[in-house]
Parts: sequence; C-alpha cells; structure tokens
Amino acid sequence: MNGRQLVKAQGRSRGAAPAAAREKVLLFRIGEAVYGIGIGGLWEVLPLDGVTGLPTPPHQVCTSLAYRGRTLPLIRLPELFEASGTAVPPSARVLLIHALGRPLGLLVDEVLEMTDIDPRRIGSVPSAATQLSPAFFRGIVRDSDRVVILLNGDGLAGMADVAAFDA
Amino acid sequence: MSGTAGTKAKESAAPTALQMLFFEVAGKAFALDLVLVDRVIEALAPVRTPRRPAFVDGVIEDRGRYLAVFNLRRRFGLPEPGRSHTAIVLLRGLDLDPLIGLTVDRVLQVLSVAPDVILTPPPRVFGIRAEYLHGVANISGWPVVWLDIAKVLTTTEPMTLLQ
Repeated sequence: MNGRQLVKAQGRSRGAAPAAAREKVLLFRIGEAVYGIGIGGLWEVLPLDGVTGLPTPPHQVCTSLAYRGRTLPLIRLPELFEASGTAVPPSARVLLIHALGRPLGLLVDEVLEMTDIDPRRIGSVPSAATQLSPAFFRGIVRDSDRVVILLNGDGLAGMADVAAFDA
Repeated sequence: MSGTAGTKAKESAAPTALQMLFFEVAGKAFALDLVLVDRVIEALAPVRTPRRPAFVDGVIEDRGRYLAVFNLRRRFGLPEPGRSHTAIVLLRGLDLDPLIGLTVDRVLQVLSVAPDVILTPPPRVFGIRAEYLHGVANISGWPVVWLDIAKVLTTTEPMTLLQ
C-alpha cells in the first residue's frame, strides 16, 4: 500500500462509529525506535521524489520540500533525534502534515503501519529522558507489545528552525 | 500527644539509624538513602528516547507510568553491559522527574546504619570526587560509598570509577 492510499483508507474509516474512543495513529521508524503521529493532521505520505536539499552528513534539521509547485519546510526527524545513519535509507518517506495552520514535511526512515490507540492511556514522556523540547511530544503509549512515542505536529511546527525557514 | 513528644525526645537524645539500600556496581558497594527508594524492580529493556542525556538509557513502563532510566555504569564511565544488569531502583524525591529508574548491577540489601559509622569521605573515593558523596563506611569489612545520587545524576561532569 502506498502512503496516499493508506491515508485515504484510514480517512474513510474515521467517519465510522467511534470504537471506544480509540484513535488512529500512523506508526513510523526513526533509527531503531518506533514513533507515531495522529492522522488528524496528516495529509499525505510522500516518496522522496520532491525533497530537495538532502546533503550528505552532517545534515541540517530543517530543509526544503518541493510539493505541487510550493516549497515547504521539511524537518529531518532522524537529524533532530540524533538517530541518523550515514545516508537516507530507500525506505524513507515524508509525512506531509498540517500543523499550526501550515503544511509541513516530516522526514522519517520508514513508514510502518496504522494502529489504534486508546488516548486515555497516553502518558507523558519523562522530561529526564530527552534533551528535546517537551512540546515535540504528545506522549508515550503502549501499542500491544511495543511502546510508541507520539509526536506533536504543532510542537514540531513551532520549532525555531521552521520559523527560520520562513524568514 | 505525650507519647509522640516522648518519642521525639528520645530520638533527639540518640541519633536515629540511617536506613540504606546497598547495591553493587562494577564489584564495588554503594549505598542510597532508603527514603529516596520507591521500589526495586527487575531490569527491563528500555524504550530508546530521542536525543537522550548521555547516561540515560531511555524509558520503561511501570504500573502504567513511564519513567526515565539512568544507567549508573555509564554515569561512572564504565563499559557496558556490566556483569549483570539485574535491577532497576526506582527513586523519588530527586530534582528530576517525580520517579526515575536507576540501573545497577546488583541490589545487595537494606541495612540500618548508625550515623557514627558514616565517615567524611576523603577527596576522592574510587575516583569519584567527595562532593558527589555523603560519606563512606566500613560495613562488615566492606568499604561502602554513600552516594549523593541527586548530584550524581543532575550534573554532567564526567566521572570515572576506578576499578
């Protein structure tokens, strides 16, 4: 399933009955860790075709994404999270999200699958566990046999590198 | 009321024994004030968090909560893994999160220690500077180092435990 089909399919299911208030989350990999983002603000999953400015390491955190004639900011999450390998893997994708009233790309190493989570079970990411801004994280939640760190699109869109992109 | 007052008077006359948790890292014995210890649990594989501090392993889930796990071997500049990572000591009351985990090689025991057994540490013990220590003691022939664990975990000065 390609990314666009996946988002469209899940978008349809969102209109169904609220199955015990569970929430759809797209899971993806950055380095060896699994992360998730709610599909509410997710527009598309794109291949890397439209991504420009993908230099060899060391990479900058924020670069540009060419999308339908527009140039959008792209946050390279592997760099932000210091989980970057020596090259962008072929499995890498761009999550195009809408956050803080603007489109924004998030580069990830691999898109995994869609899952359901119970929002009531989302816990806080302990502040001592990361040096990144807590605004980047919506929380942390168990998904069957794994624990997933949920990202906050608005928090990422508010980071200084994105503001600098607009300047 | 009078009973409580009497107990307090007795406590002020005779120093209260310190309740301490003893544990091992790299074959050396260390101690923590038991007041800081919530529980001890078996070691779990942590979830790696992004851009984590140098001596944080990640996050574990405990009773529906998520806790940062600090690795004392790595804090002491020791290679990993240790002989065994069998325990995580859950600590509260530090100037970090409300509850954190501390991975140690082995938990030994809980002991009551008379305050007069605790000695002022020399400038360095096993290579660790005295400002990171509350004291040292000889417990049944074992040298034990009482750590100021809050300071050990909230500063970034490199440490090297001498072996």
